[in-house]
Amino acid sequence: VMTELMQPDSRRCTYFFLYDGSKVKGEGDLTREGICYFYPEETPLDEQELLCGQLAGAGRCVSELSSSPVCVLRLRRNKFAIRMKDDFFWALGCPVEVPTISVCELLDQLINLFRFYNGSVRRSYQLNRPETLASRWAQYLSHLQSGSSDLHHIFSCLRTIDATNIDPLLLLKAALILQACQRCPLVSAGCVLFRGRVVSTQISPELTMKVMVHESETYTKGPRCNDPGTFNSFGGAVSSTTVFLTRSSLAKFLPFSSHSTPHKKKPTRKTRLSRTLSNTPSTESEPSDAFSSPSFSRRLSDSSVFSPDPSQSGADPTPQQPDPPFSNGEPSPEAEEEVPEESNYESFHSNGNGVSQIGAEESRDHNVFEEVSGGGCGNVQGRGAESPDPARSDDSPLIPMTLYLHRVKGLVLALLVEPCFLSDTDSMEEVYHSSLASLNGLEAHLRTVSPGASGPQGPYLFAHFDCVQSTLTTNLSARPGGALQRPFVRATSLLHSHFCNTETLQEAIIRSAGAAVYGTRSVAQETYFQQHGGSLRNSGIPNHQDSAFSLPGKARHRLLKHGVNLI
Amino acid sequence: MKCLLIASESAEVLFHWTDPEFQQNVQKQYGASQEDGQGLPAFEDSISTLFAPIIISCITMVDRLRDSYTSFTTENHHIYVLHQFDECLYIAVNGDGEEGECDLRRKIYVVKKMTEVLFGMVTLSSNLLRKELRPQDTEQRARLWKHLQSLLQTYGHLRENDQSFLVEAVERLIHPTLCEQCIEFLERRLVQQLNSSGERAGEEVMHAFILVHTKLLAFYSSRNASSLSTSDLLVLIIMAQNMYPSNTDSDDPNPEDVESTSGSGPESFYTPEPSPPPDRGSSSSGEKPGRGSTPVFEFVDPDVQMAEDSLQTLEVPPPDPSTPRRVFLEVSLKDGLYPMMPHSMYCLPLWPGITLVLLTKIPTSAVAMSVYTFLEAFAKLEKRLSEGQEGSAATRGQRTIHEVRGKLDKFIKALGPTEIQSGQLQKEWIEFKNLAFTRGGPGFSRHLIPSCKKMKTQLCAVYRQCFLLESGSSSIPQRLSPGLQERAQSMVQEKLMDWKDFLLVKSRRNITMVSYLEDFPGLIHFICVDRSTGQMIAPSLNLTERNTSELGKGPLAQFIRRKVWTLVNTTRRYLQKGYSTVTFRDGDFYFCYFLWFENETGFKLEAGDLPVLSDDSAPIGMLAWDYYRKLLRYYSKSHQGEVVKCYELLTVHLGVVPAEIILQHCRQLASKLWEPSRNPLL
Repeated sequence: VMTELMQPDSRRCTYFFLYDGSKVKGEGDLTREGICYFYPEETPLDEQELLCGQLAGAGRCVSELSSSPVCVLRLRRNKFAIRMKDDFFWALGCPVEVPTISVCELLDQLINLFRFYNGSVRRSYQLNRPETLASRWAQYLSHLQSGSSDLHHIFSCLRTIDATNIDPLLLLKAALILQACQRCPLVSAGCVLFRGRVVSTQISPELTMKVMVHESETYTKGPRCNDPGTFNSFGGAVSSTTVFLTRSSLAKFLPFSSHSTPHKKKPTRKTRLSRTLSNTPSTESEPSDAFSSPSFSRRLSDSSVFSPDPSQSGADPTPQQPDPPFSNGEPSPEAEEEVPEESNYESFHSNGNGVSQIGAEESRDHNVFEEVSGGGCGNVQGRGAESPDPARSDDSPLIPMTLYLHRVKGLVLALLVEPCFLSDTDSMEEVYHSSLASLNGLEAHLRTVSPGASGPQGPYLFAHFDCVQSTLTTNLSARPGGALQRPFVRATSLLHSHFCNTETLQEAIIRSAGAAVYGTRSVAQETYFQQHGGSLRNSGIPNHQDSAFSLPGKARHRLLKHGVNLI
Repeated sequence: MKCLLIASESAEVLFHWTDPEFQQNVQKQYGASQEDGQGLPAFEDSISTLFAPIIISCITMVDRLRDSYTSFTTENHHIYVLHQFDECLYIAVNGDGEEGECDLRRKIYVVKKMTEVLFGMVTLSSNLLRKELRPQDTEQRARLWKHLQSLLQTYGHLRENDQSFLVEAVERLIHPTLCEQCIEFLERRLVQQLNSSGERAGEEVMHAFILVHTKLLAFYSSRNASSLSTSDLLVLIIMAQNMYPSNTDSDDPNPEDVESTSGSGPESFYTPEPSPPPDRGSSSSGEKPGRGSTPVFEFVDPDVQMAEDSLQTLEVPPPDPSTPRRVFLEVSLKDGLYPMMPHSMYCLPLWPGITLVLLTKIPTSAVAMSVYTFLEAFAKLEKRLSEGQEGSAATRGQRTIHEVRGKLDKFIKALGPTEIQSGQLQKEWIEFKNLAFTRGGPGFSRHLIPSCKKMKTQLCAVYRQCFLLESGSSSIPQRLSPGLQERAQSMVQEKLMDWKDFLLVKSRRNITMVSYLEDFPGLIHFICVDRSTGQMIAPSLNLTERNTSELGKGPLAQFIRRKVWTLVNTTRRYLQKGYSTVTFRDGDFYFCYFLWFENETGFKLEAGDLPVLSDDSAPIGMLAWDYYRKLLRYYSKSHQGEVVKCYELLTVHLGVVPAEIILQHCRQLASKLWEPSRNPLL
């Protein structure tokens, strides 16, 4: 089942290397001494030396001239994202068609992943054998490249379960498991994953992506009882590993651990872990941001939370309530109820980007829109801050935490916990036992869900990227290539770069002889749309009857049934 | 913080240009170790030391990986763009955010184009170009570099401030009656008189034009001249601007004084047709005997011999304004395209801001055509041989090598044995013939490649000697006599005396947005370009001078100007990737860009697939590398037998205007601005 995850189909990365210049200081030092890791590993050593030596040398020279590290280096056939820190030189090369911003994002992700699991890079190389660390780079790189379709070269996004085939209540159940775990004060936050895909998460997309690496690793290795991170007492189902978080990423989900908490996002943890999740939560449970809505309470009391009966949930005419502006991954009951069959991944999150507002009154749409645009600039800046430049943040202190993993077959509960959690047997057992039954139940349900046919194809192509949650909704087939899709992917790539470079750009229509593509973005999302067929044959002279200019209207209309509301 | 550098493969700096900030930056980094950082050589040393590792690395990458650096970007947004032409590496740097990667790449191509205009076919031999760009004599080097640097600076200024250099098309002054009068004057009076004068020293005026700042008032080409390419014309305008820069703040009279005398109002405007008349083909065959089809026989022409004798007499140009500039321009004749043919350029200032430019064909230009023919033959042969073709396969499909053999024999004979260069050419040629034609010799095989290369170098050297060399001994320089030049100058001055103030204002406010507001509410700005003729119109957007544009002077006007400049760059980016229609909603504005093709009768042709180019491809424009000419050629393949025209329209609208209305506006503008009668809408 997991094979699709590890498929090294189209590689977006052509080269990746880490070069340690401190090893090559003297006259007689060989360049190869400085090569910490080189991908593709089968590259002849002299070619490795050539690339590392030349790129690092030229990079250093340019950096000295400009008194600033090089961040992008282009060759005619490849473009490289570069990070320089102390004597380390990272380079990640991609084909020139991949947007530069995407290459840089990929390299940052890769370095941040390494730091997440190993802490400071310099210290790791002092403590470990280079071969060990090389295999980790390889592992992280292969994880980041796994299952990437053409669009994944452009948008780095979370793989989520196909919510269109899943009873929304299952998503709610997953969210409740996480909430219940949080009642233990040592548990910070977590996520529920199924077969390498996110079911529910409380942590930022960046962190979730990192957590998923360990999950897929433990899955492929299989539970091994002699693994130092596994706990025999839990039948090998539970494992843990030390991870390192920057203060800023920690602050995002630990309201009390940081002095500068921007929002109060989490339910206050007043009560102790008093009941297990297999009991239905009652209406009096946590009065928190997300749960204060009366509809939610009623919903919980009205029906069996874990009922897999979709008709029941769909039929309930719950009154509309505005969502909390930004609930950071907490479930929004409205969203789950409202989402029609073809809905997308966003359904299990609510960030007020319009997904859950289908069919709602206009005034409400308005309201939500204003909320989103109100947070406009902040959001854009926030995005940048979430993936801080590793070169600079390598100095920032990393805080060790523990990643706790509880696996039930394909289902994994991953929690970020205080390091002392592992030695606190009572807490551990409590969390384990309180969630075990629910996890089993959830796993059983998810397992029976057939992968199902992907959404309606329709005479059009679209891609909808949620920048806040890093999720991508599209009706493109996952296989790369596809001659029909290529013009769309090419246009999307160009437009995405343009959107990234021009903050004020809201929408664009571009047309070549073969394809007209419409792109639009708000602070929270980017949407791309191409209509098939129709006569594109025209002179290219301005003409308001030209089909290209009807794309915005068509996109608005067509994408509604995919849960994309372009307002 | 800007820099442009040309380096040889051995990391020798062949040319550099830096702005003061960059120079300071280098001196700060290097100066600490340098005891006396004064003077040019010290700075040149430090710049070459600083760049050497990059240059060497670049060459290593090409040698070993068959790939090369195209750019570097640093975290503080400094951009380095690299491009290699033959054995010369060009590096352009920006550290002040004013230029993007595409601007820097364009700048590199522009410098390359300028070297071609200044040095002609010498640029085809890296070895000779190296010597030409970096003369041994430091004084001579300083003078040449200064000239190139100031050309580059002028270009930079125009690109930043002049819409016609932004879109790389020529802007004409829209005043049809005056334009027509001037063209007639140039034709009937000026050129005719010059070409029939005995003081022209064998030169023949081919083109004459009047510039008002950067805008063209009148352009006339003599009947037997080939048309001047837009690319060349734009470079000539840069050169003229460089010689007589427009002082944007002081040379304009008060606009109000002149506005009353201006011909604004409901006149019947039209843009004058560029000369020459359509039957160019037939006229060109009627010129000097032997020109074109069989250039070799021309060397018996006494004119040529005289020119050969006078080669020695070319002297270092004194700061005498009557000394023409040698420029190398493309000439298209019935039998083909001859790039980089020698011309003399006379730039005669009429008043500050108004200049008369004369381009003459020099008497020895036929030598250049022959050299080009031979160069082409050897280059083709070399290419085929290096592709592995041998024997007759290598010589197929061109003028047979035997024909070249006969012509080259005659050419060398005509050059005369006294010349050192021709002696060396002859030596190399004998060697080539021995290898290629001797029975039992290697014949046409790979072994001939080095000999081909040597022949090319020798041909370039002969060309250099004929057209570039400034020999020391002086007598009468080869040029239109100063008296003749003065007469030309005063004739045109007399003709334009009453118009001069009007012209200076008109050039600043050629067409104004006000005239469009009624018909196109919400339209803020537009640029329309006819790429087939290389001409553009746009409402003026000058902000640097005293009389402000209609947008006023404040930050808003500056903002819109910046938007227009960015828009042009952005649409080029999409065009490079094959998108000919682009619209954006950006902030409070709505931008449109359209490129389309028409036939001669104005019928709109179907949009075909446009080529998709790589990121580091030559810049889209007409100045340095004529993208549109290639585009037209590419497109015409599917429209055989039709004259294809290519147009572009850019518009800026207020974002509140409904998209449908905006598109209607665009359509109206597109059809009205370039109607078949070419009456610009006013």
